[in-house]
Amino acid sequence: MHNKYIKNAFNNIKKEKLLSITNIIVMGITFLLLGVFLSVVVLTQTVLRDFERQAQVTIFFKDEIPENKILEIETKLKSDERIFATNYISKEEAFNIFKELNKDDPVLLESVTSSILPASLEVQAKDLSSLPRLAEEFKGLDGVEEVRFFEDVISRFKKFSTVVYSIGFVLVFLFLVISYAVVLSTLRMTINSKGVELEIIKLVGARNSYVKMPLMYQGLFYGFISSLISGFILFVIIIVLSKLGNFPASFGVGFFPNLSISHFVFAILLWLILIISGCVLGYFGSLFAVKKYLKY
Amino acid sequence: MQIDFRDITKEYEQQVKALDNISFGIERGEFVFIVGESGAGKTTLIKLLIKEEEPTAGQILFDDVDLSAILKDDISQLRRRVGVVFQDFKLLESKDVFENVAIALDVVDSNDDVIKNVVPNVLSLVGLTHKMHSPPSKLSGGEKQRVSIARALAHEPDVLIADEPTGMIDPKSAMEIMEILEKINSLGTTVVMATHNRDIVDSFKKRVIRLEKGKIISDKKKGTYAQ
Ligand SMILES: Nc1ncnc2c1ncn2[C@@H]1O[C@H](COP(=O)(O)OP(=O)(O)OP(=O)(O)O)[C@@H](O)[C@H]1O
Ligand SMILES: [Mg+2]
Repeated sequence: MHNKYIKNAFNNIKKEKLLSITNIIVMGITFLLLGVFLSVVVLTQTVLRDFERQAQVTIFFKDEIPENKILEIETKLKSDERIFATNYISKEEAFNIFKELNKDDPVLLESVTSSILPASLEVQAKDLSSLPRLAEEFKGLDGVEEVRFFEDVISRFKKFSTVVYSIGFVLVFLFLVISYAVVLSTLRMTINSKGVELEIIKLVGARNSYVKMPLMYQGLFYGFISSLISGFILFVIIIVLSKLGNFPASFGVGFFPNLSISHFVFAILLWLILIISGCVLGYFGSLFAVKKYLKY
Repeated sequence: MQIDFRDITKEYEQQVKALDNISFGIERGEFVFIVGESGAGKTTLIKLLIKEEEPTAGQILFDDVDLSAILKDDISQLRRRVGVVFQDFKLLESKDVFENVAIALDVVDSNDDVIKNVVPNVLSLVGLTHKMHSPPSKLSGGEKQRVSIARALAHEPDVLIADEPTGMIDPKSAMEIMEILEKINSLGTTVVMATHNRDIVDSFKKRVIRLEKGKIISDKKKGTYAQ
């Protein structure tokens, strides 16, 4: 039975070549835009996240604390879930940095030796909002002289990025709705254009499935092909840009600090999302559109 | 009794009665003319019989099955036992003559061999073999009507209903169509035909049910148009 419906669907597609091509183009462009849009939102959020991670807490240690003790602390911190990266700066390195910064001021350099500058640990968090808490905890560690971070800058940046993340999600949602609506109305127009014929077929004794199944398969076909093609185009674009080194090392999404996706996985995921959307929309969108012709 | 209308009323809009409390029965194998002025309710009566419309009140029995008890999913079963020739033909414009007839078989899951066999047969019965692959847009009114009859006959219905099958065609084609209907009737199919055509009704001397403003004003065996 379903073989026959599938056969009828393909006969329709072949017979309505122009309409089919138009539908696939319209739906394909919609999916392409949806994909580009999703990518741009993810990219923005990744960049923002990278910025967030550069914000750091610096822990300065007392002079008497030996290096191995500090390295021990560093190892412990590295295994903390919330921490993205740590960087140990020894007294000597601190002095080198200091020299580099003040190389135009020999008088100042004269008066400073490497022993005055404290050793320190720079700590970057996965999520900006955990920085104040981490800083508080570091103050309680053994041998800590001072913990420093730019609290107000960070909290302002946090507010900003939260707004950007939220806007991103809202926009994604809106764009999903819009593109789904475009696809649905394309299918509806296709089906309405043969509404009279559908009624006639019912009047000569067709059961509902005879009328609706070929149309649903037809919609499934349009949705699948258009999303397959647009997903492929996006896949190629993403992989090429990634090979050219135009992207951050991996993608992340706001509000999910631990999420990190490679370009390849992202491109595949995006492709999958589009194909699933395409198939579901094509199939059920057609059902939705044909419903009104099945009343009698 | 094959078809039994009991106290049927149909209002499309409030207070406007297309059919007003009518009752009649049709026996298996009968040939019945339904006559009446434009707007008398002939098409409405046919629509009720294939459940294209629902009655506002009353009951229609088809082989003792109450139509109102037929579920939406089973309407197709009813329609397969009733062949309808529609007043406005209702042909599929995107399909050719052959396909228009074949669809009636395809919807009942006849296989391709049956379709290849039956369609040319019914088309030759209505004299349209030579137009098998023309689209409806290239046919005259009479030819369209004959395609519509061929489609209605394809699945060998128990009842053939024709809504003014001679309405839009010349007298000669009309007589040809009447011959087809009479032949089908003589083979045992019940035929119900709505018409305005006085000459045809008078020359056939069949049962005539006359509607006026939704009511039956006469019902005579071997009647004439003017009663
Ligand atoms: N879908 C509809 N909605 C509202 N009123 C309708 C509808 N169909 C028919 N009517 C009304 O019902 C009445 C009966 O119409 P019907 O089509 O049954 O007449 P008829 O006898 O077939 O006429 P004709 O000889 O012109 O075909 C008319 O008054 C018509 O205006
Ligand atoms: Mg009528």
